[in-house]
Amino acid sequence: MKWLIRKTMQDLYPGGGDLPGVEETGLDVFLDQFKAEAPALMYAGLLAGTALYQLTPVMTVGKPLPALLLSPELRERHAERITSTSNYPLRQSVFLVKMVAGMCWGKDERVRRQMNMSAYQGDPGTWRSE
Amino acid sequence: MTHTAFREVGQNTAHEVDFVVVGSGAGGSAAAVTLARGGATVAIIEAGPWRDPDDYPETAYGAMRDMMDDWGNSMAVGQALWPIVQARLVGGTTVVNSAICVRTPGDIFRQWRDEHGVGGDAYADRLWKYQDLIERDLCVEEVPERALGRSNRLALVGDERANLGGHVMRRYVKGCDGSGQCLQGCKNLRKQSTNLNYVPETMQRRGIVLSCAPVDKILLDGSRAIGVTGHFQHPTTKRAGARFTVRARRGVFVAASVTHSPVLLMRSGIKSRQLGNFFRAHPGTGIFGVYDEPVDMNAGATQGWASTKFRSEPGMKLETLSIPLELVASRLSGGGTQLMQRLGKYRHMAMWVHACRAESVGTVRPMAFGLSSKPVIRYGLHRADMERFREGMKMVARMHFEAGAKEIIPGVHGLPYALTPDQLHVMDSAPLDPRAYVAILSHLFGGAVMGKDPRTSVCDENGRVHGYEGLYIGDASAIPTNLGVNPQHTIMALAMNAAERALGSR
Repeated sequence: MKWLIRKTMQDLYPGGGDLPGVEETGLDVFLDQFKAEAPALMYAGLLAGTALYQLTPVMTVGKPLPALLLSPELRERHAERITSTSNYPLRQSVFLVKMVAGMCWGKDERVRRQMNMSAYQGDPGTWRSE
Repeated sequence: MTHTAFREVGQNTAHEVDFVVVGSGAGGSAAAVTLARGGATVAIIEAGPWRDPDDYPETAYGAMRDMMDDWGNSMAVGQALWPIVQARLVGGTTVVNSAICVRTPGDIFRQWRDEHGVGGDAYADRLWKYQDLIERDLCVEEVPERALGRSNRLALVGDERANLGGHVMRRYVKGCDGSGQCLQGCKNLRKQSTNLNYVPETMQRRGIVLSCAPVDKILLDGSRAIGVTGHFQHPTTKRAGARFTVRARRGVFVAASVTHSPVLLMRSGIKSRQLGNFFRAHPGTGIFGVYDEPVDMNAGATQGWASTKFRSEPGMKLETLSIPLELVASRLSGGGTQLMQRLGKYRHMAMWVHACRAESVGTVRPMAFGLSSKPVIRYGLHRADMERFREGMKMVARMHFEAGAKEIIPGVHGLPYALTPDQLHVMDSAPLDPRAYVAILSHLFGGAVMGKDPRTSVCDENGRVHGYEGLYIGDASAIPTNLGVNPQHTIMALAMNAAERALGSR
């Protein structure tokens, strides 16, 4: 499922503009880390959000196809519309995908530099053991 | 000095002290240090790990993973799912909040007296004296001018023009350098979270700390609390470790948070018909203002300006709040190229928020069939609160425009993405459905509320649980009403008061 999550996140935070897209911000490594560390329920939510994103173009652009098979223009429209759908559970599910992707994108050094912010030094993940 | 962290299965530990304090946040640490200063031996039992400033994460991801309770996934379930902000580490939420210090307003004590039979003038004087002490202990000061940053400065301009009666915040921060990292813990040792002061002082006074140690149960001998027991939990893998048992010769303080304290009491067999009831909160949300010049909201104090002028009518607090870029990314609506274009304006955005003094009441309960130790919080806002909520948003929007914002981003489903000054009236038509908002519950109250009558409360004004000996509430669970201001100062004073009474009750 990782490839599908990645594909969905790329739709939500695409590159090609002034800012790097999420695929340029170490997404693969981040997704592996997230899968290994996040609570199972949260990861399940990410999978569910991804599946719903992929299965709902029929609601947003009238095409009974998974999002990954849409043309770039229709995928763009789907990404816009699904994130503001009136269906609350659906909107919240996709919000989770967007939030997780945002945590990868927003910590990237290049992105931060463009936002006039210094690079993060990293998360030690340590604690006092004695 | 003794600190015990995670122990593997087979390395069981047992201790005996005068008092056990469950939780090391604002309430637990204040109770613990008061007990220790009074000569008692104290064990602080904290569910999360002890992370020193060198251990603090920098990213929002790291903060969720390393500091927040359940990765920030605790939710209040009502018409909408609204997240609850609560930390799980030594120092509790004081590590990740903005250290805002507001003395308990006088009208709160009168309300407690009239509605709950506790409080009153003498009680107020006593608590304010503790607040004097806390302010000295934790070096409370106004955010210095050099650390304000542009977002807070703009708020001062908007405040003056809109006549909002605001002010530069007073916080438990010594010489803020405006690093803008309050929410991930202050690596620069400026914020006086309790892992840096009250917890170490308790240890210096013969106390012990068990971290990574979620308490399963309070031990009872009849109606007397005599200790706690639980299993260590690895901070990364969450696997269970050895059993710990800590006997208390004189009493047990429960200060595990509004969501965990009532559930722990229920799990321990404490009988009180009001346990888990009267959960309250300050729901809040933010509005972005977009300015011509860069704001760079993450440069400067995370929160530096506030107004409490409206806490009684219509019932809200206004504040600045800079959230990390990672969270702004998901907070802005939209997806695809549209979202990226919106994020391109990030440097020009300032986020200001309101916290609503909601009257709605909810419950805290354990998960059905003991499926998880996670509490279940049911909480929805009724119409009057939603109207108040909407009014707060409009006030923040107006303040942005007065400060010179060319547009605001309300982030409300059903409203346009951005509004210009001449469209402010559109805010009046914002929906009253909580599902339309991206909101959080930032300050929590109740679940084990204090009061004179055991039929309508769980503990008395000194935190003593009705019908039990040696069992005390030492956190915001005891607070029976919404305060309308940041609660840390009140929580600490209540905990100190309860601790001093417990010392004298031998």
